[in-house]
Amino acid sequence: MPKRVLIVDDAVFMRNMIRDIFSSGGYEVVGEAAHGIEAIEKYRALKPDLTTMDIVMPYKSGIEATREIVKGDPRAVVVICSALGQESLVMEAIEAGAADFIVKPFRAEDVLAVVKKVLGEKPKV
Amino acid sequence: MSRYLGLFVAEASEHLEALGRDLVALEGTPDGETVDSLFRHAHSVKGMAASMGLEPIAQLAHRVEDLVDVARRNPGALGRERVDLLLTAADAMLALVRATGEGNAPAPQPELLGRLGEAVIALTGEAPRPTKVARVEALLPPVAPLDPGRYEIRFRILPAAQSPGPRAFLVYKKLAGLGTVTSLRPPLEDLRAGAIPDGRVALVLETDGGLEPVRSALGLVPEVELISAERVADEAPPEPPSAASPSAEPARTVRVRTELLDDFLEMAGELLHATARLRDIGRRFPEHERPALDEGVDRLHALVKDLHGKVMGARMTPVAVVTDQLPRAARDLARKRGKDVEVTVAGAEIEIDRAILDAIAEPLLHILRNAVDHGIEEPEGRAAAGKPARGRLRIAVRRTRERVVLEVDDDGRGMDPERLRAAAVARGKLSAESAARLSPREALLLACLPGVSTATDVDDVSGRGVGMDAVKRSVESLGGALELDSQPGRGTRVTLRLPLTVAVVQLLLVRAGGEVLGLPITKVLGAVELPDSALQRSPSADLLSYGQALVPAHDLARLLELPDVRAPGTRPWVVMESEEGTVALGVEALLGQEEAVLKALSRPLDRVSGLAGVTILGNGRPVFILDVPRLLA
Repeated sequence: MPKRVLIVDDAVFMRNMIRDIFSSGGYEVVGEAAHGIEAIEKYRALKPDLTTMDIVMPYKSGIEATREIVKGDPRAVVVICSALGQESLVMEAIEAGAADFIVKPFRAEDVLAVVKKVLGEKPKV
Repeated sequence: MSRYLGLFVAEASEHLEALGRDLVALEGTPDGETVDSLFRHAHSVKGMAASMGLEPIAQLAHRVEDLVDVARRNPGALGRERVDLLLTAADAMLALVRATGEGNAPAPQPELLGRLGEAVIALTGEAPRPTKVARVEALLPPVAPLDPGRYEIRFRILPAAQSPGPRAFLVYKKLAGLGTVTSLRPPLEDLRAGAIPDGRVALVLETDGGLEPVRSALGLVPEVELISAERVADEAPPEPPSAASPSAEPARTVRVRTELLDDFLEMAGELLHATARLRDIGRRFPEHERPALDEGVDRLHALVKDLHGKVMGARMTPVAVVTDQLPRAARDLARKRGKDVEVTVAGAEIEIDRAILDAIAEPLLHILRNAVDHGIEEPEGRAAAGKPARGRLRIAVRRTRERVVLEVDDDGRGMDPERLRAAAVARGKLSAESAARLSPREALLLACLPGVSTATDVDDVSGRGVGMDAVKRSVESLGGALELDSQPGRGTRVTLRLPLTVAVVQLLLVRAGGEVLGLPITKVLGAVELPDSALQRSPSADLLSYGQALVPAHDLARLLELPDVRAPGTRPWVVMESEEGTVALGVEALLGQEEAVLKALSRPLDRVSGLAGVTILGNGRPVFILDVPRLLA
């Protein structure tokens, strides 16, 4: 069964791009959220195997959303999508319980490599 | 008690070093001041060691104190031999203090104690009194703890990792979740800053779970390589004491001229350029010779980046250096104007690059003058408006994301955009049409143009010379931004958003109109190759289909009014995020990535809209860095 992914980003463009990356990698994108509050609601409803999380979003930041998601489900796997230069925010997100992070602008193969590793899947040879 | 250990080690070491110096001075000219100082140091060490339950140290300090007390009454009494004995005791205590800092219980010193005791008897005719020591438990780790399992773990962040700091921090957090990390190199602060020489990290983990969870935790983290994980002896420090002892010493400070720090930064920047140049040259080598060279260049790059980071760190200065003088300045100014003002400063401990701090000192003073002068009303005016007689000025500094935000609030009469528009038009500063086009916020910025002030009187305190437009310009030349908010009758807020440091930027180099230009990579979302014919034309702009969105597309050469020199056919489009939304910029070629130290533009280039700065590439060539939102504005 393909692993189920929730994508959280306030930019439609980024959500589409990340969705394409996951689809090409054989994952099932089960939902999208445009801000932190929606992310928490969708996470509770969908229980995805993996959540990608933008940091700077309206209403509730990705860091807050990560904190609440991991508090509610300590096994949640949240991967932060950050831009270069956001190192200190990434570290805040790690403190908040993020499992890993990827750095924008990203390439599909890098994203999939991180995700496979984080989910403990064997890399394709 | 063990939480005081670090402090004890630091403070006791300082006292003991001072004690040694005083003893040497005592041999020269035994004056009363030196003897008093000696006594205080010995007394302090005795007290501290006794409270920590460290009997061997406390006893030695007590005897030293006894002997120094003799010298206090009779400065010549000690003689050279006894000064030697005291020096030996000082050295022994210092060694014991350091051993304590490394987790070893101080060993009793019966022989030395005996010699000191004899000296006390010889000089005073009395036997030394016993030393009272607190009974302290659990100061040091128990000698045989319940099989804690200590493992030394070494791992390496791979050179390809884009953010080594967060990467290493992530590994640290995962390991810390398995037990207690008792030793970490580089220290956490450096780790977080990405200052990790060669990407190598070593730590000691105390855990009950054995090595298996460690391996599986590390197995889930990309860009990391486990070098070794070995069980270490329970009491052995991870490094020989000679290497561990510097950490036990208190942090020392030394004053350095600011210009020297500027030179360091300049040189670290040049080193970054030179490294980039080496990497460039390496690309011309045949494939099979490159790995060794690349590895060397990677290592050099890591070291130079580390150095650059350290130099940046040394330049960080608390905002207090500038804000501390503001309450006094405001008070004096207010008094001169017959007003009463109270200034509060919050967040002055926040640190910012010295160069940025120096550059905002003057503008900040000007903002303050404006507030006192035009913002805060006279006491009668305030009373009439139902406000307390004493005006309030609040300066708040905080850090957000990668910036320092500095807000200056006053509770004065505020500014009215409509009156400012009218005043600017009336004084011939701009046409009625231009004034009408300004947003209320933009209209506020007219306030401090010379001659536009709406203050009813003309004064000699502010409003002349440096206007708010000049303040705005100096803030923007630093890569910062200035905002004004105001509510008539309620007050005004001036917000300065400042970069934290003189930034190192990652650039995407492109060619447009035959020129090499830099785009800040943090804003780049991606790139596509398309012919111009693939654009969708709309009346307002050309649109490019990217992902599932349509993005406004611009020819970069045309935006910059550069000649159109490109060959027909497909071309790269760089898709970037800007404050206005996503945009695509058509270029002639993508040339690669480069790390560069951003240099602010000086006159007259700082007036050119759309340029964020300039940098020098590895090949020595200057390259302009574009400010895309302003380019499109």
